[in-house]
Amino acid sequence: MDTRVITVKPQPAKSMQEELRELASTLSDIVRGIRTAQEPIIESQQKVPQATEQLERITRQTEDATHRVLDMVEHITARESEIESLLKDLKRALPATYFRNNSKAKAVIERIRECAGQNQSAAYDIMDALQFQDITSQQIDHAITLLEQVQSRLQSVLMELAGGTQEEIPAEKRRERAYDPNAHFSTENDKDKQFSVDELVDNLSRQMKKD
Amino acid sequence: MPELKILAVDDSPTMRRIIVNTLKRAGFNDVSEATDGKDALAKMKVDNYGLVITDWNMPEMDGLSLVTHIRGSAELQDMPILMVTTRSVKDDIIEAMKAGVNNYIVKPFTPETLGEKIQQVLKATGRS
Repeated sequence: MDTRVITVKPQPAKSMQEELRELASTLSDIVRGIRTAQEPIIESQQKVPQATEQLERITRQTEDATHRVLDMVEHITARESEIESLLKDLKRALPATYFRNNSKAKAVIERIRECAGQNQSAAYDIMDALQFQDITSQQIDHAITLLEQVQSRLQSVLMELAGGTQEEIPAEKRRERAYDPNAHFSTENDKDKQFSVDELVDNLSRQMKKD
Repeated sequence: MPELKILAVDDSPTMRRIIVNTLKRAGFNDVSEATDGKDALAKMKVDNYGLVITDWNMPEMDGLSLVTHIRGSAELQDMPILMVTTRSVKDDIIEAMKAGVNNYIVKPFTPETLGEKIQQVLKATGRS
């Protein structure tokens, strides 16, 4: 039988207290560290709703402005149509021989008609260009969704740090967003883009008919 | 020949307004609007339309689900459908064609493209 005895040197009570104090101080440092880490996360998390609200405001304001422009375009095109019809009335009201004897008046009326037509065409171009609003609002919705994902991740980190005491943001508080993450506005290569789509659609249609 | 009744489906009020204006400019004056697929189906139960122009990305019910519903309905399955969307990725176009759209336009579109595609769709479905 092994009679050897392991002797443990008793630690002085003061040293134990010292160690406990050190441990407490270390724990306190850790807690302080966690708090310090939490602060910027909390701050960042709180800023996300502000950012999304601001982005939503941009969408609403751009939409309002677009509709004001559309109102004006509609008024312009209606007035241009009225000018066309008034010029026809004027021609009808004058004797048939009037323009034969007055080529200057005829040229003026023709020029007015031309200008009215050009104005109307430019107004329609403005209307077509306003499609940008739908496309940029989809881009903004995409950005908002990404921000909301960041907010959720920050919240998970906070929950981990705080031991699950953070309140979760209910999903129903968030608006349902329908957007194309690749939505892109460009008037330069529209025709090329549509041309490629047309080719694909034609090929698919032919293939489907065969099948 | 009776005037073609068109249903324009888009969640964007701006796009609906532009589409309606463009259609009127092209001589199509009987145009109704729907804000998403559900709204469109509800309107199609009440009125007879000769053409549906639909966006893809919409809340509640998107354009692709709308197309699937229409093609699966005994009363509506032959409805000409034109999709007008920002989605231009090849796989999306294939998916839409497989779901049953008759033609496909990428936003932003020109009035000429819209007019041309409407004529193509009506011709292909024997409605012109």
